Amino acid sequence: MLRALCTLNGISGRENSVREYIISQIKNYCSYETDRMGNLICFKKGQKTPSEKVMVAAHMDEVGMMVTYIGGDGSLSVTSVGGVDPRVAAGRQVTVGEKNIPGVLGSRAIHNLSAEERKKAPSFEGLKVDIGAMSKEEAEEAVSLGDPVYFLPEFESLGDSLVMGKALDDRAGCAIMIKLIKSELLYDTVFVFTVQEEIGTRGAAAAAYSVNPDIAFVLETTTAADIPSASGAERVCEVGKGAVVSYMDRGAIYDKKLYDLAFALGTQLDIPVQTKTMVAGGNDARAIHVSRGGVRTLAISAPCRYLHSPCCVLSKEDVKCCETLLRELLTAVHEN
Amino acid sequence: MELKKILTELSSAKGVSGAEDEAAKLAFSYIKKYTDDCEIKNGNVIASFGERKDGVPHILLDAHIDQIGLIVTYITDDGFLQVGSCGGIDRRLLLAQKVLIHGKEAVAGVICSIPPHLAKSGDEEKVPEFSEIYIDIGMSKAQAEEIISLGDKITFCGEAKELLGNKITGVALDDRAGVTALLYTAELLSGIKTPCSYTILFSTQEEIGERGAQIAAYEINPDIAVAVDVSFAMSAGEEPEKCGIMGKGGMIGISPSLSFELSEKLKDVAAECNIPYQLEIMGGLTSTNADRFSVTRAGVPSVTLSIPLRYMHTPVEIVDISDVEAVGRLLAEWLKREGI
Repeated sequence: MLRALCTLNGISGRENSVREYIISQIKNYCSYETDRMGNLICFKKGQKTPSEKVMVAAHMDEVGMMVTYIGGDGSLSVTSVGGVDPRVAAGRQVTVGEKNIPGVLGSRAIHNLSAEERKKAPSFEGLKVDIGAMSKEEAEEAVSLGDPVYFLPEFESLGDSLVMGKALDDRAGCAIMIKLIKSELLYDTVFVFTVQEEIGTRGAAAAAYSVNPDIAFVLETTTAADIPSASGAERVCEVGKGAVVSYMDRGAIYDKKLYDLAFALGTQLDIPVQTKTMVAGGNDARAIHVSRGGVRTLAISAPCRYLHSPCCVLSKEDVKCCETLLRELLTAVHEN
Repeated sequence: MELKKILTELSSAKGVSGAEDEAAKLAFSYIKKYTDDCEIKNGNVIASFGERKDGVPHILLDAHIDQIGLIVTYITDDGFLQVGSCGGIDRRLLLAQKVLIHGKEAVAGVICSIPPHLAKSGDEEKVPEFSEIYIDIGMSKAQAEEIISLGDKITFCGEAKELLGNKITGVALDDRAGVTALLYTAELLSGIKTPCSYTILFSTQEEIGERGAQIAAYEINPDIAVAVDVSFAMSAGEEPEKCGIMGKGGMIGISPSLSFELSEKLKDVAAECNIPYQLEIMGGLTSTNADRFSVTRAGVPSVTLSIPLRYMHTPVEIVDISDVEAVGRLLAEWLKREGI
């Protein structure tokens, strides 16, 4: 399922195909509605109706690019949608628009670069998508301004337990929510597949307002930098070391009681749980925890290397840890 | 002959400089359909056509079979790989690139990068040094060492794909496009007795200094040599005076290091046969195998014929198939006329 989810295309604002796929998966297991922004809100009946309403959120959108201009030479200018480092975009194959027109993000031949230019990273201003068109007219037959541009879904296993692909952020969270919706839950829970997280957690703001929860859990992927060039606190969190529960990031200070509960459950049930060694990143919690009069919020994330690149890497075991931990929390929050 | 199909297959065959086996064997399997007189010698694919006769030139047509790539130099305690370059690698494009490591089996990997969330101010401007490049293969050191040895070669990924208007994108089109053009020449001349004899060479180690061509040319001892390689095609950001244009035919080289007569001859044949061509003017050496051919033994008059290619040495090179075809045809038409 993770492969299927990561193969779908959906930059912020264009989450349609992801939403359709998710609906096909969950429609027999809950009631659901799509709100005006495109958020998919699912009401999962449990055995009991709790006194406090719990919402779980994961975002459907992924980072990518959008066509902003078609040059006279048929090249396409693009802007990033969400935080894309041009260094991980240059020199890749892409697809453009709903028709999946193949193209590449070309880069000048190294032979023709001055010594100075060779040391300078590419920028989006200089990056053009080449679809093979030799004129503006030829390009316009295939693409339009505003067309989304996607990295190729090169979903693949890496070693025994890791997977690599685009959009693992946050289709991994979506996959966990689908599994939970398909399973039996003790308490009623609202699951929200949100839109537009990558451009400022906008879908979650609207969804949290409508759902009006008391408690929220955000399922995410978060920045692991456990690579040889980073040491100590710079590694942030580590792939293969379990679910990441952080005390604070750039978007939210998490609810201390929920934070403690997560670690207590981890110890008690032998679920690996780690925290982050840096205050960095942010997710839908940013909007949810300050919705209406405030929502007690916790984010549970799978540690993920190379986030926002075409080749994100995470561990299937860590995703499982997140799922197990959340399942336990969905009961424990009502009983502690 | 389905040129797109052949180029696509050649693009996916691996052949980093010094480890060209797979690509060379594939090219050999194609060329041997046209002559029995062919072999792979010291890595070079050498296919000869016709009988050598005094007073009639023997012509060498060459395209290099190797591609740029990386080479494993170290495995860290955490199982990450450190690498060096084989050929001119653009370090600006390495971060988060998917790669294939060709150990006892092919292993997928990704080049480590730090996400924008964790970047320090100024990081986004930086281009990593080779000493800062690590490849993540999702294995422990012990697991890695069972499959991967120091010296194993690494290729970039990117299945060849069709773009608009007869174009192909993929890896190693430099110079598998040239190999494809020469296979087309062989196809066009199949069953035709040319006045001259000729050898088609798919040479190794061009990207690290034209070494395969050097030893093969000595062996073949031709009277005339043509290096069929790729050259810069105009694209966004490039300078027009350094570039050809995709779709306008092969680029006939003109340079002090090349034979001016040969350049003229190719122009004449192209004009006579209505084959599109353009010129590539170089002020000195050509950075192709022609630089070796011209000083082979006592010197061999040489010329370059280049296929315009965008984004050279990136994993997303582009060629126009009509240019590959034009180069193949031009050479075939010339061989039909040379030595009369």
